[in-house]
Amino acid sequence: MVFPRRAAAIVGVYTTRQARSLDKTSYSLQLEAMKGALDDAGLTLADVDGILPFDRSAYSTSPFAAQVWATQLGGRALSFAEPGSPTTGIPKAALAISAGMCNVIVAFWGKAGWKLGPGATAVPDEAPRVAEWHYALFGGGYAHFYALWAQRYLHEFGLDSEDLAQVAVTHRDHATLNPESVMGSRGPISVDDVLSSRMVSSPLHLLDCALDTDGGYAVVIASAEIARNCRKPPVWILGGAEAMHTDFYATIDDPWFPTSGQSVSKTAEIAFGQAGVTRDDIDVAGLYDCFTVTMLRDLEELGFCKLGEGADYFREGHTRLGGSMPCNTDGGLLSNSHNGMPHGMHTIEVVRQLRGECGPRQVPNAKIGLSLAQGASVHGYAGTLIMATD
Amino acid sequence: MPDTRTAARPYLKPLPEISDLNRPFWDGLGRHELRVPRCADCGDFNWVPYPACRTCLSENQRWTVVSGDATVFSFTVVHRGPGAFDADVPYVLALGQLVEQPRPCNVLANLVGIDPGAVRIGMPIRLGYVEIPDEDVTMYEWLPR
Repeated sequence: MVFPRRAAAIVGVYTTRQARSLDKTSYSLQLEAMKGALDDAGLTLADVDGILPFDRSAYSTSPFAAQVWATQLGGRALSFAEPGSPTTGIPKAALAISAGMCNVIVAFWGKAGWKLGPGATAVPDEAPRVAEWHYALFGGGYAHFYALWAQRYLHEFGLDSEDLAQVAVTHRDHATLNPESVMGSRGPISVDDVLSSRMVSSPLHLLDCALDTDGGYAVVIASAEIARNCRKPPVWILGGAEAMHTDFYATIDDPWFPTSGQSVSKTAEIAFGQAGVTRDDIDVAGLYDCFTVTMLRDLEELGFCKLGEGADYFREGHTRLGGSMPCNTDGGLLSNSHNGMPHGMHTIEVVRQLRGECGPRQVPNAKIGLSLAQGASVHGYAGTLIMATD
Repeated sequence: MPDTRTAARPYLKPLPEISDLNRPFWDGLGRHELRVPRCADCGDFNWVPYPACRTCLSENQRWTVVSGDATVFSFTVVHRGPGAFDADVPYVLALGQLVEQPRPCNVLANLVGIDPGAVRIGMPIRLGYVEIPDEDVTMYEWLPR
């Protein structure tokens, strides 16, 4: 069996304003993003017959997000509804379109008014009850869990904080060329700036951590027939895959960095096979950089370098603008925006690169791009997508 | 004798929801025992507990008392913590790998009784028990060994 390359394309993308705090609701951001991405494609709501909703709605009128959205979108039958996140769900969206299940799918997300970070939260009046063995029992959260992972990673491969910090420096450099990024206007940072930023959870300093911002975005995927008549040039889906590996920050197996790879590795193997391209063919990429350490692990798991060599590979400059495969040219989650579920943000930047819309940060002659989203128990869950221009 | 202390009141950090499925574990802690599901068919330990063995999918698992001895598999010194934990910074979160094998069990808990700057991967630790005043649960923490 072969993946139906170029049977579906990304035809519309949109990002709302991204900021530390937006005076809007999550729902409102999702609606804005959905409408914006359809407009970018030159399509209307009436064209939509599939959705990739990650969030539910403002009202709990159904246990299934898709039912709520089908009603919100006018009350009609949606023939594709996949609860996967943007990027991880897009390969399945392409398959559904190629199989005739639907024609136009919108993936969307928006978040405002809540934070992911480890910042101080109110002390309750009595002990809250949480799931058994959950990290919350011990004062853990996302950043702390990634810190445990980073500490073990540095230990196993003989690396240090400077190896991590270089990622934040490069992604900030990229953000300075992206006027829509949250941190670009603050200017570049140095390795010393990262190392002297306050420690959040060792070995992760503040500037090793993603932003914790509000914002929304949407991606429209359409059939080849529709794509050819859209407002913007199509960005074809060549291949992609999603994989699950572990539960939600509870089970930690040893080795934590198996040579056989984890979810990201699995999706890369499948996606490259489907796309019929090699790693050397990738002109531009957007890799999940929720923490500096994540970026290094992405490069290893995707097979751009070997296990434990992510820091050396990164230092060689391949992923910088001007390098052989610029990555996270928008500034990434570290310096552009992390809006709670930013799984589609990297895909959107790669689409803009492949369209040639990126101005001062444009990668010349970008034809083939790759995006990666990951999460859960640090590489427990992943989606890789390979895209190309005409 | 296991190390036991009683937490200060009021205890405002999260506590576990006790269910029929997980009760043997929490009852064990109340007796100052660490119980880990071990597959009676293939012999592997499973942590965190799942309804069936992760190696052979057998439901024939037994809550098995283990020594509570471990080594630090990884750790982090936390400088920003949620809720009531923020008053404790800097505090240590550690994954302790139980000495019992096969299948390494990495158990997450706070590591106390040591200067956070002195914690190292590989150092020996042991489980301590924390009585929670006015609550029906005993918690656990890592201590230097």
